[in-house]
Amino acid sequence: MLLGKQAIDDDANQTGQMLAALWDRPQATFASKVEVDGGVARVTREVDAGLETIEVDLPAVITSDLRLNEPRFIKLPDIMKAKAKPIETIELASLGVEPGDHLKTTHYAAPAKRSKGVMVKDVAELVAALKSKGLIR
Amino acid sequence: MSRILIVAEHLDGALNTATARSVSCAKAIGGDIHVLVLAAEASAVAAEAAAIDGVGKVLTVTRPENAHALAAVLAPQIAAVAGSGYTHLLLPSTTFGKDVAPRVAALLGVAQVSDIMSVEGAQTFKRPIYAGNAIVTVEAPAGALIVGTVRTASYPAAAGGGSAPVEALSPDVALPSHTRFVGLAQGKTDRPDLQGAARVVSGGRALGSAEQFQLIYGLADKIGAAVGASRAAVDAGYAPNDLQVGQTGKIIAPELYIAIGISGAIQHLTGIKDAGTIVAINKDADAPIFEIADYGLVGDLFKLIPEFEQALG
Repeated sequence: MLLGKQAIDDDANQTGQMLAALWDRPQATFASKVEVDGGVARVTREVDAGLETIEVDLPAVITSDLRLNEPRFIKLPDIMKAKAKPIETIELASLGVEPGDHLKTTHYAAPAKRSKGVMVKDVAELVAALKSKGLIR
Repeated sequence: MSRILIVAEHLDGALNTATARSVSCAKAIGGDIHVLVLAAEASAVAAEAAAIDGVGKVLTVTRPENAHALAAVLAPQIAAVAGSGYTHLLLPSTTFGKDVAPRVAALLGVAQVSDIMSVEGAQTFKRPIYAGNAIVTVEAPAGALIVGTVRTASYPAAAGGGSAPVEALSPDVALPSHTRFVGLAQGKTDRPDLQGAARVVSGGRALGSAEQFQLIYGLADKIGAAVGASRAAVDAGYAPNDLQVGQTGKIIAPELYIAIGISGAIQHLTGIKDAGTIVAINKDADAPIFEIADYGLVGDLFKLIPEFEQALG
């Protein structure tokens, strides 16, 4: 199963990991390289410390990071062809899943704004300002 | 009263500061705070965790399988401990916490609150959405176990000086063998860690090449700063992935952030909003980075960086 690592709207970064847990299968999140060899995938993951490589038995859940690949350019004829491809709809009820929204969103707010600062005219003025605030020596 | 369990993040026998930041979030919830260390050899990390102010107890699970932080291996152990009477389970919102926490939440059958930036009540939290362009308040049902990741840039690291007792646990959990650690390629560096650094110098696409990106390292070394990069610079191969700052990279809160040749896309700005002072150097006077910079300087970075270094003496 291939998924993205996080949605760009809610940024929750949970779906792949939860799917892997519920399916009781391995997870390889934040993938930047995937090599499949028989029943095993060797996945390079973008982690805070650098690049981690793990091996997972298939089937597994892999979530992609930014540099996994370059999305293909879609040609117009392919876009037209896509319209003719079958789309199967699966009813949620047929899966025997109890849907539930465990978290309630109660407020939306704009984030605190940073105020616009000042423009300095040259490096000397910048360095003087940073030194006076004790940010550099 | 809340009983809060925090999973320690550690590497090579050292505790990550993200753990002490998570403790600050737990203090905002209030209650008993325990830190869980899962490792092949836990004593050094447990000692560090025990010294964090506010921690009431450190729990260790020592197993050879815990030598590397594999989510599939750690999650069932964490779920077993968290399920034994805790009200909250917190992990830092680092790649470690993001990988592990949802797997635990699913095992426990609860939703997860990602990127907690503010505690409004024991079951109510604020978190950013749309790359930090909106803040939502989410509420979990009364009595539900909270699994959350802590937006580390929102919390300072809790101080040291504590001396919590350490207790060894051995949860009876079968661990999977379907996930195996192969290796970790770390950029070895003497520079400060990007996520904990007081000063950060970041470079963007305008650096133009990996060779020219070295200018950023030079300036960073001059002021004892960590090095960061925009997504564009990482995608172009000028800097390694672990330096990326922003929505899909690292969210940081240094005292001083110097953005050089970075235009300031919202995805980047969300990673630096909590910085103390932001300096922007860019040749385009209309770049959005100047909208949030405390100090802006318009000009050619290839001329200004050497000048900057020279001015520092």
